[in-house]
Amino acid sequence: MTRRTGLDITQGLSRRSLLTLGAGVAAAPLLGACGGVSTSGAEGGEGSVTLMSNQFSPVEERQRFEEILSKRVTGEKVAFNQVETGIFSSTLQTQVDAGKVQVSLVGALHGDLAQHKDRLIDLDDVLGELGDRGFATDTTDLAKLGGPTTKYVPWMQASYVLAVNKKALQWLPSGVDVTKLTYDQLLDWMTAARAGNGNKAVFGIPAGVKGLYHRFFQGFLLPSFTGGQITTFRSPEAVTAWTYMKELWAQAATASTNYDNLQEPLERGEVLVGFDHVARLVGAPTAKPDDWLMVPAPSGPKGLGYMLVLAGLGIPEGAPEADKAKEVIKALTTPEVQVDVLKANSFFPVTNAQIPGDLPGAVALAEGAVSKQRDAENAILSLPPVGLGARDGEVGQIFKNCFKEICLDGKPVQQVLDAQATELNKIMDELKIPCWQPDPAGATCRAA
Amino acid sequence: MSRRERIWVQLGCIAVSLFMGVPLYLITLAALSSRESLNEFPLPLLPTSLSGETMSTFLKSTGIVGGLVNSLTIGLSTVVLALLLGLPAGYALARYAFRGKDPYQLGLLLTRALPIVVLSVPLGRIFLDVGLYDSTYAVTLLHTALALPTTVLITSAIFLGVSREQEEAAMIFGASPFAAFARIVVPQALPGIAASAMFTFVLSWNEVLGASILTLNRRTLPAQVLATLADSPLAFRFAGGLALVLPALIFIAVARRYLLNMWGTTLR
Repeated sequence: MTRRTGLDITQGLSRRSLLTLGAGVAAAPLLGACGGVSTSGAEGGEGSVTLMSNQFSPVEERQRFEEILSKRVTGEKVAFNQVETGIFSSTLQTQVDAGKVQVSLVGALHGDLAQHKDRLIDLDDVLGELGDRGFATDTTDLAKLGGPTTKYVPWMQASYVLAVNKKALQWLPSGVDVTKLTYDQLLDWMTAARAGNGNKAVFGIPAGVKGLYHRFFQGFLLPSFTGGQITTFRSPEAVTAWTYMKELWAQAATASTNYDNLQEPLERGEVLVGFDHVARLVGAPTAKPDDWLMVPAPSGPKGLGYMLVLAGLGIPEGAPEADKAKEVIKALTTPEVQVDVLKANSFFPVTNAQIPGDLPGAVALAEGAVSKQRDAENAILSLPPVGLGARDGEVGQIFKNCFKEICLDGKPVQQVLDAQATELNKIMDELKIPCWQPDPAGATCRAA
Repeated sequence: MSRRERIWVQLGCIAVSLFMGVPLYLITLAALSSRESLNEFPLPLLPTSLSGETMSTFLKSTGIVGGLVNSLTIGLSTVVLALLLGLPAGYALARYAFRGKDPYQLGLLLTRALPIVVLSVPLGRIFLDVGLYDSTYAVTLLHTALALPTTVLITSAIFLGVSREQEEAAMIFGASPFAAFARIVVPQALPGIAASAMFTFVLSWNEVLGASILTLNRRTLPAQVLATLADSPLAFRFAGGLALVLPALIFIAVARRYLLNMWGTTLR
């Protein structure tokens, strides 16, 4: 670069660039003058109820819920803020602890609310007024979060089931009822299917980074084999369960470790049979419900273990619109809204709302499987961990570790369970909490 | 350059362009394809089943337009604020020798050493206490703090390349120090300023965590959609990806013209 051209460029650009710069300087504060534009539908200002939730994260689910809100909750203006679980937690903590709360209503899973027990106000009065909704005692007990008073009002529930592409039925061993599978029958079936499908596995579990596969062990496999979850963690029955899991994993698609949800691999036909959260399965049969079945989880020696997923609505301490938020809670538990949410987003009513006969195909499949599972004679209900609070993730991780070491690394089962039980008991001994279902209620909970 | 060398250079250029271009092409293709076609195997590489359905569903979600406006506001304000604060600092670093200059330069980078996730609760608390929570100002301040180190370091490197003699000559002919800076130094340093503006804008555009912590009802576009997209079907991830990439690309295309003779080389 010679000095000459340098100066030429200088003169060529200076006026234009100064103008651009000037325009930028002038425009930015103008744009920012109002502190930003609302992105939550309703202006989150005076009088509107800000509902923060970590549920309904997929784009369409969120849009459908916003539609339900605007159609059914007419008394109050609700700004629906969908956030990640981590942000949900830190926002709630920051706002309540700073005493400057902007969120009037929070909606999240039982486990997410449990860790903020002391940041939520008592809702006994609201629950008292909702006597006609017919909440199950199980759920209202959970909603006390281990204390004497109600901390949230049950909002919606879900569970996990098996989705089956009808193509896989050709390999079902004769005499087996697909709606009443046992774990052994599932293994035989999947073994036969893999052989029949040219050695390509047809079974998948959501074992990806964000997958919910630990719930399969916590709420389904282990209760079915051992009748418990924590107390029986390293019992001989648990060894049988994990040995079984190792055999089942040998027949499962190895790509499962990439699956965060199963509806996409099922829809693409990568796997034909899969176990997952109902809301993460229902997308598979949506387009062609006639090609699909949804069936209850299998039964084991002790019964059909299944886990309840419960979401609740709570009001943070110091919420700006607490009274309106209570009205919104009432509106969201009406039969109409409960059924709308089921139809649109496949989360099930927590109330006695009458389920209509005209459900969309995929939702009807899911509804059938969930109610069969719940009403099975040998059903063993597992609750989401009660009282673990912030340690919930750590306990989930222990079950994931067992899966990794036993099924992926091939380590001896008893040895892994003993090592992980020590870790588990470290957490449980610090917490000193009573057991929850299916473990027998009683003294402090720990692995025997 | 021999003919052979030229061929190699050309091949290198093509390889780099493909490296950047192919993913963009694939995202665009997938974003504008119908949902069913994404489940086919193998996926077609040519636009065979075009459909704007996923894209329009995505764009109709609540808060997309608001988020876009907020993101642009914050991005541009951050660029302006970071330059207002960073240019003088960069100039001082380039022109003056002072005690502790090297540790100061190193210290600048330390603001980037602490992960925001560790700071999330105290950060949210401070902004709540001063009443800036849930506004674009809060996010602008945070992004400016994050962008300042690169702004200072890039502009100081570029000021080093501007001759001191020309500046002095201007002052001899009667320009005030500020006028000499504004009319002689800044125009010659424009490429570096443009580069740092680009870094700043893209940094602000891509930053999610801080923006999610400091806002609730007035989110930036990435904060508004990123968590949503991670849990959405594949088709929406592509649509969202395209919507997030395009504005940043446009900004870079605009700022690129000031990049000529960046770091002393001629690009055009």
